[in-house]
Amino acid sequence: MTVINSIITVIGTLIVALLVSIWLPGIERKFIHARIQQRVGPPISSVGIMAPIKFFFKQTIIPNSPMPRLFNTLPIISLLSIIAIFLIIMPQLYIYTVLTSIIAVVGLLKVEEVIYVFMGSLSKSVMSLKMPFPDIVKGAKHYNIQRSFLEELSSLRAFRLIAFGSFPLYIALFVPVVMSKSIYIEGIVLYQQINGPILFTLAGVLGAIVFFIGYMILLNEYPFAILKTKADVIEGPLMEYAAKYRAYLYVTRGFLMFVLASVFTTLFLGIPPNLFSWNIFITIAVALIFPILMAIMSAFSPIFTYKQFYPTVAGFSIIGILAIIFTFI
Amino acid sequence: MSLKSYSRARAVHVMLVYTGGCNGCDIEIVNCIFSPKYDAEQYKVFLTWNPREADVLVVTGPVTKHNEKPLIEIYNAIPEPKAVIAAGACALMGGVYKNIHGDIPSEEIMGPVENIIPVDAKIPGCAVRPEDVLSGVVAALPLLLDAK
Amino acid sequence: MEEDNKITDKKVIETEVTMGTVHSAAIEPYRVRLFVEDEIVRDAEITVGINHRGIERIMEGLPVEKANSLTEKICGICSNSHIWNSCLVAEKAIGIEVPERAQYIRVIMEELERLHSHMLYLAHGNEVLGHETFAMRLFYIRETVMELLRIIGGNRVQYGVSIIGGIRPRCELDEMRIQKIREGLNLIEEKITEFADRFVSDPMIMSRITGVGVLTQKQAIKLGATGPTLRSTGVGIDLRSEMESYAPFDFDIITQNDGDVKSNLLVRVLEIPEAIKIIRQALDNLPEGKITNRSWEMVDAPITKSYIEVPRGTLYHSYALEDGRVRNSIIRTPSIANIGAMQYATIGHHITDAQLAIVQCDPCFTCTDRAIQIIKI
Repeated sequence: MTVINSIITVIGTLIVALLVSIWLPGIERKFIHARIQQRVGPPISSVGIMAPIKFFFKQTIIPNSPMPRLFNTLPIISLLSIIAIFLIIMPQLYIYTVLTSIIAVVGLLKVEEVIYVFMGSLSKSVMSLKMPFPDIVKGAKHYNIQRSFLEELSSLRAFRLIAFGSFPLYIALFVPVVMSKSIYIEGIVLYQQINGPILFTLAGVLGAIVFFIGYMILLNEYPFAILKTKADVIEGPLMEYAAKYRAYLYVTRGFLMFVLASVFTTLFLGIPPNLFSWNIFITIAVALIFPILMAIMSAFSPIFTYKQFYPTVAGFSIIGILAIIFTFI
Repeated sequence: MSLKSYSRARAVHVMLVYTGGCNGCDIEIVNCIFSPKYDAEQYKVFLTWNPREADVLVVTGPVTKHNEKPLIEIYNAIPEPKAVIAAGACALMGGVYKNIHGDIPSEEIMGPVENIIPVDAKIPGCAVRPEDVLSGVVAALPLLLDAK
Repeated sequence: MEEDNKITDKKVIETEVTMGTVHSAAIEPYRVRLFVEDEIVRDAEITVGINHRGIERIMEGLPVEKANSLTEKICGICSNSHIWNSCLVAEKAIGIEVPERAQYIRVIMEELERLHSHMLYLAHGNEVLGHETFAMRLFYIRETVMELLRIIGGNRVQYGVSIIGGIRPRCELDEMRIQKIREGLNLIEEKITEFADRFVSDPMIMSRITGVGVLTQKQAIKLGATGPTLRSTGVGIDLRSEMESYAPFDFDIITQNDGDVKSNLLVRVLEIPEAIKIIRQALDNLPEGKITNRSWEMVDAPITKSYIEVPRGTLYHSYALEDGRVRNSIIRTPSIANIGAMQYATIGHHITDAQLAIVQCDPCFTCTDRAIQIIKI
C-alpha cells in the first residue's frame, strides 16, 4: 500500500511541477520584462505553453549535423536528467540512500552542462559557415586557416562553463552538506527539521545568494548568457533544433527553473517537494520568486564577456567558500 | 479551432532577412518589434534570428546578387508550415531598382523576392509603416493555421 | 607603441569565425570574418558590397529632379542628408539662391534626422550590448522624433523635404507645427537626460564599454575616419561649423578623448542636446518669406562638388549637368570612410565585443555599397 502511495505521490508531484514550470517563462516575460520595458508584453501562456505545442506540430526535419540522431536525442537526455534530479530530492526515494546524495545531484547537473558541449560540436547551422558566400577569394587576408562554426565557439564556452562557470552553484550546494555533516539529502532534511532551516543562518544567507547566481549561470540567462549571446553566437548550441526537439528544449528550460528552485527549498529550507503536504506551496512560491528575481536582474544588465564573467564567478565563489567557513563557527 | 491552430496563433516567431534595401523598411520593422509603442509581442509575434525557430520570414529589399543564395538557404532551413512576407516596395516589385539596366538583364538585382522564393503576403510602402507590418503578419496567419 | 601590439602575427591565429550575412547583431547584410586566437580577435576582415544596387548607375542620364529624389533611397536613416546634398550640388551648379526660410527649415529637418539617427545608434548599441531594456527605452524616445518627421514631411522615413531651389510646399512650418516641434523637443530633452544619467551611472554597462574598440587619434586620422567616430578620438572636426546653412546658429563641437565605445556613445549622447539647441534657435529666428525660389533656368554645368556634415560624418555628392540631366554622379558616404576604423577597432578584443566595436562606428552598409564594383561569381 505504501509503495502505491509513494508512486502516486511521486508522479503527482512530477506532473504538478511540470504544470507549474511551463508558466514560468511566460511570467518572466510578461510580468517582469514587459513591465520594466513599459510595454504590454505577450500573454503569459505564449512563451512557455503555446510555443512548445506549436513546435511539436511542426515538420520534423533532419538537422545539419554529422550525427543527426544523437543530436536529436540530446534534449531528451537533458530533460530526463533533470527529472532524475527532481526524483532524488523527493522524500519517497530516500530509501535508496546511496543514490539520493548531493553527489548525484551534482553529477546530474554536470550532465546538463556536458550536453551543451555535445550540442555545440554536433550542430552545423546555416547561419555562419554554411552561408553561401564567396569568402575564399583572391586577396583575402588569411587563407588555409581552420574555419569554425559559431556553435563550435559556444561549445568551447560550454567547456569553460563546466570548468569554472558553474562553481558558485556547486559551492552553494555544499553549504548545507557541511552544516549538516551529511551528504545524503535525507540527512540534510532531517538536520533542518531539528535545527531549523539553514537559510536563516549567516552561512545559509550567503549560500543562498551564491546559489542564486549559480542558478542564473546554469540557466544561461542574461547577463551570464555566454553560451547563447545574440551579439556573436546567436543561439549557440541550440541553433539546429527544430520542431518537437525544440519543444523539448522549451519545456526543459522551464522545468530546470522549477527543479533548481526545489533543490534550493530542499537543501536550504528543509522542505522536499511533496504533493500531499501544504509545504508544496512553499516550493511553488520559491519557484516563482527565483525567476522573478532573475528576470529583474537580466532586464537591467548587459551581456557579460569574460572580462566581467571571470571576476563575478570568482567573487561569488569566494563568498561561497566564506559561507562554508562560517558553517564551522 | 484545434489545439494545433490555436497554438500556432498564440506564438508566431518572425525572422527578418534584409536583402539590400535602404534600411528604411528594416528599421521600421525592428521598430515595430522593439518599440514599446508598437510592441509586436502583445500580438504574440516574437522576433528570432534562427531559421529553425521561425514560422514567418519577413524579407525586405530588392534581393541583390550576393543575397540571393543566403535567402534561399534560410528559406529552406525553416521547417513547414512557413509563410513569407515581402515588405516594402523593393521587395514587392523591385522599387526604384526594378528597371536598373532597361532591357538588359541585371547582374546586380535578382529580385523581386517573388522571383526567388514563394511570397504569401505583401506589405506595400516606401518605407513600410509599423502598423502595416503587424497587419501583414496577421494576414499571413490563416495560411499557417490551416496548414497540416 | 600601441600600434605594434595590434600588428597581426599569422602564427597566433588559430581559427576563423564568420558572421553574416544574416546575423542577430548585424542587422544589415554584411560579412565579417574574425581571425581569433583563444576567443581574442587578432585580425578582422569586413566584406561589403553585398548591398550593391548601383544607384549612381541609375542616376546617370536621369533628369536632375528625379535623380535628387532617387538619392533619398540610398539610405533610410539619413535620407534627408542625401537629398539635401544632392540639391545643394544642383543649386551650386546652376547658381540658384535659396530663400533663407527654406535654409532654416532644411537645417531643422537635418537636425531632427540627427536626433533620430543618434537614438537609433544608441538603441542598436544597447541591443548589441545585450541591454534590451535600454534599447526599448531609446526606441520609445525615438518615436517622438519619428512623429515630428511625419508631421513635417508626411512620411516616417523618406520625407523628401528639399527640392531644387527650396523646400517642398507641404513641408512649410506653420504655427501649429512649430508648436508641436517645441513640445516634442521638450519631451525628448527631458527623457534623454534621464536616460543619459542612468546610462552613465550603470557600472555593468560602463565596465562593458570602457576600453573596448579603442581607436587612437593617430590611427583614426590615418584610416580616414570621419564624423563622430573621429570626434570621439579628440579631433574636433565638424563640417557644420564651416557650412553656410549653419552659419546663423551657435553650437558646440562635442569631442571625447578615449576613442573607445564609451567615447563614441557619449559623443552621440552629448550631440543630442546640441541638435535640440540648433532646432530651437532655428525655430526662434525663423525668417518670414518665400520657401522656394522658382525663378531659375537650367544650364549645363561641369562636375560640381558638395560636402555636408551628416549624422555619420562627411557626405560628398558630385555630378555634372547636361541638358538638365545628371552625368558622372559620384557619392561618397561617411560609412565607407569608417570601414578601416571598424576593422581596426575589433582587433585585440573578445569576440563578443567585436560586433560592438563595429557598431560603435555607426555603420550604414546600405549607404556604403553603391560605388563598389561587383564581380560576377
